[in-house]
Amino acid sequence: MLKFLQLAFRNVFRNRRRTIMTLLMVGGGVAGLLLVGGFFAFMFRGLRESTIRNGLGHIQIFNAEHFRRDEVHVLDTGISDWQHVASNVRSADHVRGVAPRIEFYGMLSNGVKSSVFMGSAVDPDAERAMSFSPRLASGRDLAQSSSGEAEALVGTGVARSMSVKVGDGLTILAVTADGALNGIDVQIVGIANTGFKDLDDRYLRITLPSAQRLLQSDRVTNLVVGLDKTENTDAVTAALIPRLRGLSQEMTMKKWIDLAAYYKQVRTLFSGIFLFLGIIVFFMVLMASVNTLLMAMMERTREIGTMLAMGTPRPWIVTLFMLEATITGILGAAVGLIGGNLIGIALNASGLHLPPPPGLSTEMAFRVLHVPALMIGSSVMVVVSLALASILPAVRASRLQIAEALAHV
Amino acid sequence: MNTTDAIVSVEQVTRRFPLDHSAVTALDGLSFAIDRGEFLAISGPSGSGKSTLLNLIGCIDKPTSGRILIEGTDTSRITPSQTSVLRREKIGFVFQTFNLIPVFTAAENVEYPLLIQGLSNSERRRRVSDALANVGLSPRANHRPDLLSGGERQRVAIARAIVHRPALVLADEPTANLDTRNATQLIDLMRDLNRSLGLTFIFSTHDQRLLEHTPRIVRLTDGRIESDTLSEISSHAQVFAASVS
Repeated sequence: MLKFLQLAFRNVFRNRRRTIMTLLMVGGGVAGLLLVGGFFAFMFRGLRESTIRNGLGHIQIFNAEHFRRDEVHVLDTGISDWQHVASNVRSADHVRGVAPRIEFYGMLSNGVKSSVFMGSAVDPDAERAMSFSPRLASGRDLAQSSSGEAEALVGTGVARSMSVKVGDGLTILAVTADGALNGIDVQIVGIANTGFKDLDDRYLRITLPSAQRLLQSDRVTNLVVGLDKTENTDAVTAALIPRLRGLSQEMTMKKWIDLAAYYKQVRTLFSGIFLFLGIIVFFMVLMASVNTLLMAMMERTREIGTMLAMGTPRPWIVTLFMLEATITGILGAAVGLIGGNLIGIALNASGLHLPPPPGLSTEMAFRVLHVPALMIGSSVMVVVSLALASILPAVRASRLQIAEALAHV
Repeated sequence: MNTTDAIVSVEQVTRRFPLDHSAVTALDGLSFAIDRGEFLAISGPSGSGKSTLLNLIGCIDKPTSGRILIEGTDTSRITPSQTSVLRREKIGFVFQTFNLIPVFTAAENVEYPLLIQGLSNSERRRRVSDALANVGLSPRANHRPDLLSGGERQRVAIARAIVHRPALVLADEPTANLDTRNATQLIDLMRDLNRSLGLTFIFSTHDQRLLEHTPRIVRLTDGRIESDTLSEISSHAQVFAASVS
């Protein structure tokens, strides 16, 4: 068997130029998949982490009623004893912090112009503890407690449309938990850039005490849990279930993936693109390899005839061709892995940036992640496609008429 | 010819090849027998059916009618895999263009028939060494065919044909691609192996140099036996054949 493997290996390198071309083609396919897949993986990871750190958190805890009925008034289905719930959650492993949030909406006015906003009230220290700081275009983040006027961050779109800057004042109007209209004055301390243009056009962030004063309620909409690693989300979610039982309100948890609709859409779209690309590479390798292997078979017709004449079992001939194709596939995959990873390292070192994609307002870094599953998957894919490509030439070779094959010129 | 000791019996063999809507008769009702230890040439002009006859005896083609027996086995009645085993164990082939595997060394080429027989590594090494010594190529064992001369390549081909100790060695125009010196050496080598190992050699040729050393010559013309003659030197072969059998 070893000798047979040796024969297959030497046959691979019989026509060096053709083999090098085949290896480059197979390797190019693998490298292409690694680079595209590695970039997509980077993009998914970046989008995932920015989605989480832009405020989604890893896990969100709600009053279970929140998903059962629509609120009549703001915070109708909020969490009342949230400090107790937060303290229960905070003591679990891998939890970096728990931040109370109030999600609300209303009107903003600068005295001349009004605009609708989607507001989020936060505990700035708790948010910072979990690295959930907003990305600032100018100014600073909210302070935990300020002696003077209530502070606010607005999105770049809000600042542009309302013609306000850091240091300017705004009036926020909203409906309270009792259904009355209330308003507070805030001072803009920073302009935030979430990366999502639609969100930047409606973004408002104030402190929790300011929101509670505005909405006349001590409830919060939800508790946002930040973890040490995104990969621990499932484990922590499972660990929190017993901690949330037996409270005065029934609680429910949502993982970040359940709430990240945009992330899921992007991932589905790009996974589809990658699958399509993979299929193209698969068939490209398959077709080119069939052609190469058929040429090799034609060139070796007399030799195959000789082997058959000497009594070589026909299945051995099939095995020989399939072995040769598999060896070519393995070597091509190795070339692709080395080439793809080296190109990836070079691209990462180059500091390339891409223009903002549709719906985003910032440039995107171009990075290629080295994903082991992608390396294994693309390598297996080309080896399988080479092995499949060899079936036709291998079967043809094994079915040669010996007398005709020996007379082949 | 007495067929009781026959290693090969050709009985009323006809081979026709279809050509458009008709058929070409390459061999037409041939009958003869070959005894163990014989050194036999099949001669005749181009197109007379020499190669077709060798292909039929070598079980790489089947007769249209008639039958060929190899050591008593009717080759037309066995399955393709049994035919393959028969070729692997009983027959050694030498081709006009040597047909060595170019990526194998001389020793590996000689080893190949043993490899497909599934012999152990040590047994293969021993037999390859003996076969290469028999053809005087031990020093060239590790050379690839492209580094060997035509004569050396053909000697490797002969070593490959005899290494598994076949009952029969078939050689198709073995000297056709060799110069006179190499052809003479090859003829001497084949004759020596025939005598020393008792191997039966059947070869097609129209090389007069080879025919001069051949005790029995079957001449074909248009697919029929024109003559089947024994020369003076055949008596030695017959004595040897008798002693072997």
